[in-house]
Amino acid sequence: MKYMILSYASQRDYDEMAGKDTGRASWTPEALAAMHEFMTTVNKELTESGELVETRGLAAPVHTRRVGARDGAPYVTDGPYAETQEVLAGYWIVECESFDRATEIAGRLGQCPYPGDLYADAYADIRPLIDSSEDLGF
Amino acid sequence: MTEDLLRELAPQVLGALVRRYGHFDTAEDAVQEALLAAATQWPEEGLPDSPRAWLITVAARRLTDLLRAEQARRRREDAVAARALPEDWRQAPADRPLTASDAASASDSDSDDTLVLLFMCCHPSLSPASQVALTLRAVGGLSTAQIARAFMVPEPTMTRRITRAKQRIKDSGVPFRLPRAAERDRRLGAVLHVLYLIFNEGYASTSGPDLHRAELTAEAIRLARMVRRLLPDDTEVAGLLALMLLTDARRPARTGPDGALIPMAEQDRGLWDAARIAEGVELVTDALPRGTPGPYQLQAAIAALHDEAPTAAETDWPQITALYELLLRIADNPMVALNHAVAVAMARGPQAGLDRLERLGGDDRVSGDHRLHAVRAHLLEMSGDHEGARASYERAAELAMSFPQRRYLRSRAARLAGPGEN
Repeated sequence: MKYMILSYASQRDYDEMAGKDTGRASWTPEALAAMHEFMTTVNKELTESGELVETRGLAAPVHTRRVGARDGAPYVTDGPYAETQEVLAGYWIVECESFDRATEIAGRLGQCPYPGDLYADAYADIRPLIDSSEDLGF
Repeated sequence: MTEDLLRELAPQVLGALVRRYGHFDTAEDAVQEALLAAATQWPEEGLPDSPRAWLITVAARRLTDLLRAEQARRRREDAVAARALPEDWRQAPADRPLTASDAASASDSDSDDTLVLLFMCCHPSLSPASQVALTLRAVGGLSTAQIARAFMVPEPTMTRRITRAKQRIKDSGVPFRLPRAAERDRRLGAVLHVLYLIFNEGYASTSGPDLHRAELTAEAIRLARMVRRLLPDDTEVAGLLALMLLTDARRPARTGPDGALIPMAEQDRGLWDAARIAEGVELVTDALPRGTPGPYQLQAAIAALHDEAPTAAETDWPQITALYELLLRIADNPMVALNHAVAVAMARGPQAGLDRLERLGGDDRVSGDHRLHAVRAHLLEMSGDHEGARASYERAAELAMSFPQRRYLRSRAARLAGPGEN
């Protein structure tokens, strides 16, 4: 079974990681290196176990285009998110034996070091991927 | 050296940013700031391993900052910046099926990016003056201050011109890709025209005290070389580059030590740049036989005939006359007609040339141009009508806008003045 693990961040979180002081605990180069090392290690483990299908980070929310349609013609809005709105920031697609194993992986990812209590409330979502529309029962 | 490298990388970095994130106008500001940072940091700290990657990283970070500020401001004003997609986006270009693999294969070429930027900056919704300014900044990597100085306008004026041009590009919603094949030739024509204008502005200096603004001619030649690298098979691109080289080759002989203009017939041909002439002649010789020659190739061929004549007297005027006739057939251009009249006079005598000028005098596009009067003066002088020549030189001097040109025309008039008037 394939699962998608989704992590979230706001534009403010991105700014902090880019070294901006927002008045909260800040990312030092050492803290960034520690995070980087942790992610590399976990991704390597998942690659070695054959469970990692793909993982990607998303560019800062400010670089977002939202496309809608008005009177049948598509239109675009740039940067539709508020500064502190948490939006998709990255994902892992894993292929593993069970939802529980995917949950375990997400838990491991949640141990990523971060400065202070910046992300004490952080969470990830785990969503099973479907193989065909039949899985949905419609 | 840093500056040359930065100018070379500027369009590549901007191309990479706009391709990835869009926001042509804001990205352009971000790239300028990255270039500025590099210009101060690199000489002190040394070149980064990959200068291009360094610039892209710094510019992308800056773009994020600028966009954040923009979006926050907009949110405060509670304005939604939604724009409709122009037709151009909704239909796949006829010459490029928009499949994912196709888009991917086309996306990584720096040279493509530079070309796309050129097409953007020379967008038909902009005036030629705006096209020129924007091209120099976004593709040439020149700062607004440098461009303002070259065109002798106050910096705030140039800033406004460039800002408005970028806004217009943004509002027109041109997608970041090469124009469709059907449109590409016409758009390339606009690009070449802009390079031609930049060159002429530098070479002919329509106003102000310095006759040569070598910076502009050098930049026009650099950009023309770049376009030629991108489109090596286009004969008009080759023709334009040849024309610039063959014209610029005469620069060292064009002014005297006092800055006064020296007409071609009196120039010391030993001062002409032989390497430029050789390169220009080779380019145009190679381009001419490939299809019907366009206007730049014809002008280059004319320049080559001048450059190759060992003395002014040995100039092949009949051949030059014939080339001007071909040019006139392509476009009804009064300046070409003026040059044609000179060639006719040189080939068949001053009266034949003066007859042609007579017909041109009624053309509003040139009747107030100093060049028409300067040519008439010259031909009248050749025919022995010194009083008529003097009056025409005076009239030309009144109309000329550059100081050296004015000085030159006055000195010709003074030479013809009768002894009683001196």
